[in-house]
Amino acid sequence: MAFFKRKQKIQFEGGGLVLFMDVQDAMKAERVLKDARYAVRLVAPPPELRKGCDLAVEINLVEQPGIERLLNQKDVAYVSIGPLKVGTSELLQIVKVTDFGRWVMVTAGNMKLTFDKDNGVIVNTSGGGCPDIPHLHAELLGKQLTEAPRPRDIGFTLCALMLDRALEESLALWKGGK
Amino acid sequence: MLLIAGTVPVKDLPLTMGKVSTEKEFLIVNDYRIPCTQGTGAMIGAALAATNYLTLEAPYVLVAGDIGQGKGSREIYEYLIQRVAELSPAVLALHYCLPNMLLTKKLCEAIEKCAKRPVMIADAASMYAAKSAGMAKAFDIFTPDATEIAFLADPDATHPAYIARHLFDTDITQVPRLAAAAYRNKSAANLLLVKGAIDYIVRDGDIVATITEPDVSALEAIGGTGDTITGLVSVFAYAGLELHEAAIIAARANRMAGKFAQATPATRVRQIIDQFPAVFKEHLCQWSGVCYMEGGNYDD
Repeated sequence: MAFFKRKQKIQFEGGGLVLFMDVQDAMKAERVLKDARYAVRLVAPPPELRKGCDLAVEINLVEQPGIERLLNQKDVAYVSIGPLKVGTSELLQIVKVTDFGRWVMVTAGNMKLTFDKDNGVIVNTSGGGCPDIPHLHAELLGKQLTEAPRPRDIGFTLCALMLDRALEESLALWKGGK
Repeated sequence: MLLIAGTVPVKDLPLTMGKVSTEKEFLIVNDYRIPCTQGTGAMIGAALAATNYLTLEAPYVLVAGDIGQGKGSREIYEYLIQRVAELSPAVLALHYCLPNMLLTKKLCEAIEKCAKRPVMIADAASMYAAKSAGMAKAFDIFTPDATEIAFLADPDATHPAYIARHLFDTDITQVPRLAAAAYRNKSAANLLLVKGAIDYIVRDGDIVATITEPDVSALEAIGGTGDTITGLVSVFAYAGLELHEAAIIAARANRMAGKFAQATPATRVRQIIDQFPAVFKEHLCQWSGVCYMEGGNYDD
């Protein structure tokens, strides 16, 4: 008699991985994230990425900033969060600056933030494609750089994290230029 | 039917599908008001300006509120997976969402059940998901900007935040090299409209056109001006133009609207969209060879 393995139904493909020192932390993280309605699953990390225990949580990589914030708020210890695919580059750290005369545009990854050199007011944000970006656009426009909410605090995605980098660099330029 | 699907930054907006219209500065779908700002709103606003001018049926839109937590995005994917074969749109344009690789694959499978395969267009995170899921070849048009073409060229990246530094550190003149890499990796749609200081139209790896005039450098800073190009190319494809022609005219019209608006980096996208009727009236006949006559007739 032949035995057939039931084909495992793939429920989730996230592309990101949270690594932990011990199994209890991984299980706690899974529970915390599921309670917050994140799509996650417990997996064994690839040997090349393993840093602590042999249990990890697969996440949708785009949601990395929101997940980091939640795990920190809930005191869940983790080693690192990053791409699941071996060979993926590090998170972009560099920025580009474009001078438009009265305005300066700072580009970080796929996000751009433009402010008025005279008064430090954010006049535009552009780029990106994640659903928090139009919301952040509305939240940031017309605000002074020093008073604007930080995208890393109210956004959820990697696009928001890149916008935060652009804001951080803009703040440095604004404070340096004053 | 031209169907545009994407999230909008209206937190409590339920999944909503309907024909779009305008009321003052808002878009109206089934009595819900949507801001015509950066993202899916700007794309819809531009598309509606074009269908109104061409006296085509207004776009249908499938929208849901989502400010980053993903619920609205999932509802859009799931609705399309269940209903796209029945809807069978002529053009399906996918836009802002929380990218989901598995649901993107399921959607591409569902598309195969349409009586006639729609023209498939993706921008924003729908394009990120299509590339990351290995489904780029199921799409007819992607509309990346300079950073996003670098993302498509990077075989390992699943988001532009994780592209290799040497790819980010390139300028717009490197687009032909990056586009060639994207095609080699099977990460590009059949046609690419790469938006930037130079707009590149790339078909199956070959540059078929570049657009540099008018030169309105401020457009890059204005949130939503990439979204308007995607809205325009969707309508011109729906109107029956060859896809590369649709892309060329969309890029030209967007630049010209920026010029008409005397755009600065502080201009809002709504001011660009407001210029499209005047741009079409002055240039569309010459650019497309299809001329709209007063009274609703077309003249080839």
